[in-house]
Formats: sequence, C-alpha cells, structure tokens
Amino acid sequence: MSTRQDFDGLFSLYLGIGIAVAVVVFATVAFVLIRYRAREGRVPSTRSEANTLEVGAAALIVAVVALLLFRTFSTEAKEDSSSAEPVRIDVTAFQWGWRFDYPGQGVSVVGNSNDPPAFAVPGDRPVHFSLTSTDVIHAFWIPEERFKRAAIPGRVNDFDLTFETPGGEEGLCSEFCGLRHSGMRFDVWVLSDESYERWMAAHR
Amino acid sequence: MDGSASVALPAERAVGWLASTDHKRTAAKIAVASLFFFGLSGLLALAMRAELAQPGLQLVSDRSYDELFTMHGSGMIYLFLTPAALGLGLYLVPLQVGAAEVAAPRLALGGFWLYLCGGLAMYLGFLTDSGAGSDTWTATIPLSSSTHSPGVGMDLWVIGVALATLGSLLIALTILLTIVRLRAPGMTMLRLPVFSWTMLVTTFMVLASFPVLIVAMGLLLAERHLGGVFAGSTGSIAYQHLFWFYGHPVVYVMFFPFVGAVAEVVATFSRKRFFGYRALVVSLLLFTALSMAVWGHHMFATGAVQNQYFSLTSHLLAVPAGIEYLDLIATMVGGAILFRTPMLFALGFICQFLIGGLTGIVVASPPLDYHVNGSFFIVAHFHYTLFAGSLFGLLAGVHYWFPKATGAMLREGIGKLSFWLLAIGANLTFFPMFLLGFDGMPRRVPDYAPRLGDLNLLSSIGAGVIALGVLAFLANVCVSLRRRVPAGDDPWGAQTLEWATGSPPPRHNFDSLPPIASYAPLLDRREAREGAPA
Repeated sequence: MSTRQDFDGLFSLYLGIGIAVAVVVFATVAFVLIRYRAREGRVPSTRSEANTLEVGAAALIVAVVALLLFRTFSTEAKEDSSSAEPVRIDVTAFQWGWRFDYPGQGVSVVGNSNDPPAFAVPGDRPVHFSLTSTDVIHAFWIPEERFKRAAIPGRVNDFDLTFETPGGEEGLCSEFCGLRHSGMRFDVWVLSDESYERWMAAHR
Repeated sequence: MDGSASVALPAERAVGWLASTDHKRTAAKIAVASLFFFGLSGLLALAMRAELAQPGLQLVSDRSYDELFTMHGSGMIYLFLTPAALGLGLYLVPLQVGAAEVAAPRLALGGFWLYLCGGLAMYLGFLTDSGAGSDTWTATIPLSSSTHSPGVGMDLWVIGVALATLGSLLIALTILLTIVRLRAPGMTMLRLPVFSWTMLVTTFMVLASFPVLIVAMGLLLAERHLGGVFAGSTGSIAYQHLFWFYGHPVVYVMFFPFVGAVAEVVATFSRKRFFGYRALVVSLLLFTALSMAVWGHHMFATGAVQNQYFSLTSHLLAVPAGIEYLDLIATMVGGAILFRTPMLFALGFICQFLIGGLTGIVVASPPLDYHVNGSFFIVAHFHYTLFAGSLFGLLAGVHYWFPKATGAMLREGIGKLSFWLLAIGANLTFFPMFLLGFDGMPRRVPDYAPRLGDLNLLSSIGAGVIALGVLAFLANVCVSLRRRVPAGDDPWGAQTLEWATGSPPPRHNFDSLPPIASYAPLLDRREAREGAPA
C-alpha cells in the first residue's frame, strides 16, 4: 500500500463525515430561520435547557471521534512501519536545493533553485528515505504521494514511501526557509526495474 | 459625550482621552488601534493577492513578498484579532457584570500603550535597511537566528511581538480581576452573561499561554545577540514547543469572545434566552482545558512529537465545539427571528466557521496532515476560522454594540450590503485555497506552477470583493456618526445589563441596576411585566 492509498482511504472517511455534518447543520439552520422567523403573533418559546439532548449530542460526537481516531491510528501505524530490504535514499535539504544520495551505490544527484534536481525510484517497491537538512528547517513534500516530512538540521527523519504510478512527480519544499523557498523544487522519476537500473548506471 | 471636558481646548481633550483610565475609553483606543493595524495588514494581503493573481513574479521581489506575508500574519494575530477580542471584553465585561469600573484601570491603560508601541515597533521594521520581519508569524529557529535573518528589522519584530503580547496579557488580567472581584450583588458566576463567560475562559488561556510567548521572544532575542540558546535540533524543536504552547491557545483567544458575541446576538434577535447555558459553561471549560493540550498538532510533520496523543486531544475538541453549535442553533428554535445586520453576521459566523472547524478535524489526523500541512489547504482552513469565522463574529458584535458605545445606530441598508460583500468575498477568496493546497501549492510562495493560475485568479478577485465590503463597513461607520440616528438605552430589546444604562454609558456606568436573577436580567424584567411564565 502506498501512502497515497492510505491517505485516500482515510480522507474519504473524513470528507464524507464532514460533508454530512455540514449538510445537516446548514439544512437545520435554513429550516429554523424560515420556520421561526418573526411574524405577526409569533410568541417565542421560553424553554432554555434540555440537558438530555446535550449529553446525547456529546455521546454521538464521542462515538464519531472514536471511529475517526481508530482509523487514524491504524493508518498511522501502517505508515510508521518499516519494510524489509527497501531501496535506500538519503535526502539532504539546504538553502535552496536538494541532494539525493543512494548509499552504497555511488550515485548522488544535487540541484538548487536555478537547476532543480531529479532523482529516480523503482515503482511498486518500498523506498526508505533518511531526511535531514544542513542549515534551516525545510520540508520534503511530494503532493502526489500525499506525504511530507520536516527536514531538521541535526536530526534524521526516516520514512518509507511506495511509488505506484510510473512517470514523473513533482516535489517541493513546504516549510518556509528563506529567500528562494518557492524555487526549492525537485522531480521524482518513478521507473520500471529495468529503466531504474539503466538510470542508476548512467548516474554512477 | 461626558460633560467634564466640555470647556477644555481640543488638544487638552485629546490628551484627556488618551490618558483616560475609563475602561470604555481604553477599549475605544484599542478599537481604533486594532482597526488601524487591521487596515495596514489587510493592505499587505491585497498586495499578496495581486502578486498571486498570476504565476510568475510581477509586482514584488521574493524578499518583499516574505515581508508581506510575515507582517500580514503577525499583524492580524498579534495586533488585530487578539487585542480586538480583549478590547471588546474590556468595554463590555464591566457593564455586563454591573460594575462601575474595571479592576486595575491603569493596568489596562498601560496594556494598551504597550500593545500600541509593540505594533509600531513591528511595523517600523519596514523603514530599516534590513526590512521588516520576514520569518513568518512563527519565526522558527534556526531561520530566525542572526545567521539566517540578520538585521535590526527582525529585532524590532521580536521586541514588538513581546511588547504587544505583554500589553494583551495586562488587559486580559484586568478583565479577569473585574469578573472575580467587581460583580454586582446578585451576579453569581452562573448568572454571568454568556459573553462574559467566554471572556473569562479567554483570560484563563491568555494567562496560561501568553507569558510563554513573551519568554520565547526574550530567548529568541538572546539567541540572536548572544547565541547558543536554541542550539542544535533539540533547540529548534524546543522553540517550536514554546511557540505553539502559546500558538494554539491564542487561536481560541481569537475565537471564544466572538462565540460569546454571536451567542448574545442570536439570543437577542431570536427573542429568547440563550439555550443550554449550563452545558455551554461546561463545554467552554472543557474546551479551555483541551486548548492547552493540543499544541503538538502543529508539529506532526516534524517527527519529534507524540502524534497519537496530540491527535487524540485535537479530535476531542469536536465535543465542546459540537455542544456550542447545538446551543446556538437550539437558541433559534422556537424563537421569533429578526434578520437585522448583527444577526446576519452572526449567521455568517455560524455557517462559515463550521467549514473551518470541520477542516480542523481533518488536520487533527496526522496521516491527512502530512499532505495538507504547510500548504494552501491550511491557509484556507485558518482563514475560514479567523476571517470567515472570528471577523464575522467581531462584526456581529460591532454592529450590535455600536449603538451602545456611540449612542448612534448603524445604517441597516449599507450594513447588509457590507455583509453580503464580505460573505461573497470571503468564500470566493478562501474556498479555492482548499483545492490549491490539495493540488500541491505550498504556503508562503510568491510564485507557483502555471496549472494553478485560474484558482489563484478567482481567489484574488475575491480579495477585491472583501476590500469593497470593508470599505462599505467604514462608510457605514462614518455616515452613522455624522448623521446620527439616536439609539436610546436598548434599541434591540436585549437581555443583559449593558442595555440597562445610557448609550453611551456614563463614566460610572450605572445610576441604578435592575434585579439580577439570571444571565438575562432584562429579559426577566420584560417577562415579569408581560406576565409570561418565568
């Protein structure tokens, strides 16, 4: 499973519940505004408390929250688990560019905001990233994978991604890091195993 | 307005007004200053939306753009919404609890001057060689260190934030003391009006969290000039903990008082007392407690906090928030609803804040936050809470209490026009940002991928509509003050004590007080006269 699939499954649950809540609230407000608008002879009710209703509403929300948390925690546990024998890539962010090292392979790619780098990964296989920074805090974001992590100087953040769709994906820095932040981009090539080996050989 | 200064020269009267310790005048000063900073910070937003209307760099440089979003965000939070929320409380709380004065009036006045000086210091950075602060409203370490952000402009920003926050802290302290010590006889804690309850819990959060930001700014200044304070990755993470320990509660400091204002407006214009008062009090206290335990959700993507814990506490906020929504809507059920301008803004708050709140639950889930954090999705989310929510709540309150504070009614026609312009403008500006962020547009960039151009243009057009709405509001204020329609003591048929005295109230607030037997004493009095069941 890719982080994108994890995200899509979880997001559709949150979006569905969010839209349902919004529709119920908007419809209720609209109904109340029409039904109870001021008219000739309308006397307002003096009722001002119904604690059973409040407790019931709180219990309902707790139940929904429990469902959301259960799904969130199980997705999070899946994303935190590490797979056996992944492809390893060390990512180093700096003002204002990226360096991608393939440890033990003798391959490195580096580029900055004038000339953004592109690195390759094999499709359908877990890729283990070790992310850090040399100067300020950056963030490594690949929108199509629905994932980001902060790159913090003096700290290494590890995570796995599995890229499924072959082709190019764009990546960018999403933590403000100074003057050329908006130019701090990179490309990911998701390749078949043979193309990936060719790419690696060409970059050795 | 009050006779004591009528024989003085204009300059003397101005000094008298500036130096006055009357809580109503201190609050008026806060209102004027926060409107000034709202205007400045709003102009910066318009400049940003102009730059973002199309991809590529057209109007400003990278460097100026960084100053624009930094000063826009920090201006709106430190210098507009926070002081405006506290200023509203400083004006109204003594009146709502039946006090003749605020506790520690000099402290409140001192707080105003600290806030004003802090705000001016932050903005004066634009006049320095190094430019104004440009490290976002959070000034994250190590970006904000002297190595990466040298210059006196950033120092002024740090000092300004500390001063403005100290000022807000002092103002909140006087409000808390007023509620604790100066309530009128009969005004028990469970007869405190809803708005005053929201102010009370707001002051709890201010007292618990603002000192932490002041300390963080002091340490940041030391880091910039002496170094070694926030060293290494532990140092930069520690700074984020300090900052967000303040930075999340402040979100509710900029929210609760406006929930309170909306609650008063909804009750008054539904012709009913507020529904579920005791449940609301419990939910406010629960909300306040939780608000101090959710800060780590701003740090999910750092990999340096316990994501599960902060996800749990953040999701739980839905419980008290849901109770507040239930009570607001149930107050309207069975009422006789009048659609005056304050009520329109209150309804705008209820509907639009909901979108901000529901997307807030999305970002409380770490796997979802990993995608949208740091993107325009977040920008959309917090503008739905702070602009489409809190600002609409503030405007509901301003349209509602303006006649009380000035003695003159605001015009209904132009008020409704400004409401519709602001509502259309807000949704046009901020809804496309959800889609932009989801599609890969990061925050704080002057340039973006060409495929995102159409939605950005839509958003920029929306910002123009917002500007027209703000102009309509300002025109309404000017017209209504020039050609006054007298308000009388209680133009709306309201429920709380501030409407039982003159408009504007005299220096000592009340000549006499009605009996206080509930949180809606004026409604009690009307019901008793009409012989309705109590």
